Amino acid sequence: MGILDRSEYYDLTRTTNWSPSYVTEDELYPESMSGSRGIPMEKWEAFDEPYKVAYGEYVMTQREKDSGAYSVKAALERSNFVENADPGWVSTLKAHYGAIAVPEYAAMTGEARMARFSKAPGNRNMAVYGMMDETRHGQIQLYFPHEHTDKSRQWDWAHKAMHTNEWGALAARHFFDDMMMTRDAISVSIMLTFAFETGFTNMQFLGLAADAAEAGDHTFANLISSIQTDEARHAQQGGPNLKILLENGMKEDAQRMIDVSFWRSWKLFSVLTGPMMDYYTPLEHRAQSFKEFMQEWIIGQFERQIHDIGLDTPWYWDEFVRALDETHHGMHLGVWYWRPTVWWNPAAGVSPDERDWLEEKYPGWNDSWGSCWDVIIDNLVDGKPELTGPATLPMICNMSNIPIVGTPGPGWNVKDYPLEHNGRLYHFGSGPDRWCFEQEPERYQGHLSFIDRFLAGQIQPMDLNGGLAYMGLSPGEMGDDAHDYAWVAHYQTEQRAAS
Amino acid sequence: MALFPLSSNFEGDFVLQLVPVDDEITMDEVAAACAEHSVNRRVRPQAGKVMRVRRHTDGEIFARDMLVKDSGLMPTETIDIIWE
Repeated sequence: MGILDRSEYYDLTRTTNWSPSYVTEDELYPESMSGSRGIPMEKWEAFDEPYKVAYGEYVMTQREKDSGAYSVKAALERSNFVENADPGWVSTLKAHYGAIAVPEYAAMTGEARMARFSKAPGNRNMAVYGMMDETRHGQIQLYFPHEHTDKSRQWDWAHKAMHTNEWGALAARHFFDDMMMTRDAISVSIMLTFAFETGFTNMQFLGLAADAAEAGDHTFANLISSIQTDEARHAQQGGPNLKILLENGMKEDAQRMIDVSFWRSWKLFSVLTGPMMDYYTPLEHRAQSFKEFMQEWIIGQFERQIHDIGLDTPWYWDEFVRALDETHHGMHLGVWYWRPTVWWNPAAGVSPDERDWLEEKYPGWNDSWGSCWDVIIDNLVDGKPELTGPATLPMICNMSNIPIVGTPGPGWNVKDYPLEHNGRLYHFGSGPDRWCFEQEPERYQGHLSFIDRFLAGQIQPMDLNGGLAYMGLSPGEMGDDAHDYAWVAHYQTEQRAAS
Repeated sequence: MALFPLSSNFEGDFVLQLVPVDDEITMDEVAAACAEHSVNRRVRPQAGKVMRVRRHTDGEIFARDMLVKDSGLMPTETIDIIWE
């Protein structure tokens, strides 16, 4: 029997829809799950994904991708790259796997929501591939770090992190639960696939792949590049749904979903990807600064895509562009200062050469962020390490669930954006974070941040050790300086020369 | 006497921090408690200057001998600690 060319059957099969006879359309597609917003079925049948694939092609391509990534891993295992890599880069790997691997399984659930409940048959078809993509991403990103679990218990956090109350895991879960676990199918397609995946996974999976290749980590570079080819396909589910929403007078709703999801994605990446690119990656292997990556991938590309679809630039764009010089520096300093509370060893990244690089990429860095690091460095040089670690907790944003930071030093601008709601005082790290909350307060109001839990007595004893135990961090898992403070020697030499 | 959590925004520092205090201490004592978590950690001391406590939202500077319980501050409300 001859095999039909894809073009001869694709359009027919991808628009094939159910004609329910035993149940009503509303029973088959409950509004809370499908999110069709009153737009009739025939409009959703116009869904036209720009990237077309049939099941046979999908399976063949995915097999080749897996073969490539697993082959590179197998071939390079004997080179012992991780044992010989810069500890800062190793920290990048540990942080990445813990933050990303298990949420991939959650993303599979988000894809499943579209695969079952989207009224657009083409969306359901693409989401089936998306489900399988995300399952692959979860499996492969647990398998690759597993070979290292005998080197350090921190590697085990690839699987463990998302099952704990570690503060970063709380932040990631709050975000992912909001974007992809608790929304209707159409919202998932826009908030997860369009805003998060089109906008931001490029940063993590292509930007970081560039750094990995520079660092000689071809295993990781191949892995995350392989993942990104899937992302590039299934991220295109949001665009056609946005088009349908806009054609049916739903621009305001669509814009709000983009604005919420984009800001929330940005804040998560400011604490995850920013420190990796500007502080953990060894200086000689940095392809671009975090800000330069953001300017290229987000400002250059994502903003254009928004406009092409007929949406507006998010209302807070000026604040977003300004924050590219600020937020991730604060997140990095906070993660390093509260380093026992993370599952990787943060690299300080503030040797004299690295500070020169930071000053070049972020003019004024030495006067602002450097002013805090100067005090930390003095304490390390003077043998007072107890002053370089946590004695209390940072205040946590009730939207992003990460610390509330701003620029230190002479241009000090740290600001809280509080909101009193139903008798409870909430704290936010920015105007857009508070705005996100105000869009759907009933969605967010019950969540307790790490600080809220601490003050509610859920964390006992109420001290650092109690906090670490609550977060599931034991000795051997909690972070310390990636380079065991070797970088301080530069400053000790300087001080001796000066005295 | 009751434990009263405040959010400390210390001039020159980069982060808000949780500082639980007794509600019967003065604003000077609040400033000192907040300084413990910023000065000589990430902020240099400023000799000859006094630390004052300011309500974050409206800029009201509290009298140095005002007690926390008389300040009208809400639990976890953010205060600025500024050099004067």
